[in-house]
Amino acid sequence: MVEGIGRAGGILAVATVCGVASGMFGIGGGVLLVPLLGLLFAFSQHRAQGTSLIALIPPTGILALLVYAKEGFVSWKTGLLLIPGVFLGGILGGMLAERIKPRAMREVFAGILFALGAWQAFSAWWH
Amino acid sequence: MILIILLLGLGVGVLVGLLGIGGGVALVPAMVYLLHMDQHMAQGTSLFILLPPIGLGALREYWKQGQVDWHAGIMCAIGMLVGAYGGSLVALPMNSQNLKGLFGSFLMVAALLLWRKSRLEGNARAKEQETARG
Repeated sequence: MVEGIGRAGGILAVATVCGVASGMFGIGGGVLLVPLLGLLFAFSQHRAQGTSLIALIPPTGILALLVYAKEGFVSWKTGLLLIPGVFLGGILGGMLAERIKPRAMREVFAGILFALGAWQAFSAWWH
Repeated sequence: MILIILLLGLGVGVLVGLLGIGGGVALVPAMVYLLHMDQHMAQGTSLFILLPPIGLGALREYWKQGQVDWHAGIMCAIGMLVGAYGGSLVALPMNSQNLKGLFGSFLMVAALLLWRKSRLEGNARAKEQETARG
């Protein structure tokens, strides 16, 4: 593993790539950052998730949001209605995570994500 | 309609807390299919929802266990701020159909990475247990 500045530069570069995906697809970027921190920089799963969470505390998507908002691509009302649910659900999920094997959950989630992605790509390009 | 939106938020939130990931990746397709939003609109709205620090409660738990790398986190935040701006400039001129297809392809890649990471982690743990048992 590269130490010091090399490692920091590598993480910065990887995070920038995750950021591009975040702006392009309107997502947080954690879904890409967590596995990449683990695979490329040998972070354990917990450490990768904790580090991803701290990276997402500052509003990293704000510049991208402003670009979307300028074009009128933000439904503010729907967004405001979704925020409390996501917050409360997050606490609920955190409590559930203590009872369920997280590894099995991750694999199920990866499977659902793959199916969802395949469906979206298919319905967009071969209908 | 309002009830559906509130319940959708709750469902996505459970996923976020459970896995430490999710959020937008689940919100965008949900808004496209359940709320019949255009792909661009769903992405913009998702970015808005992700603006407040919704992961703060979860972060506290990780923090208590010393599972947070500060320096790496700051590097990641800077990279993502700049990258997200660039990404949004790429996405907006695209037509909705292509963007939707590209989003689907991205989900498949992310799923493969997640699955691979999960497998590696599992193998490492199995090996540790074997050595411990001798």
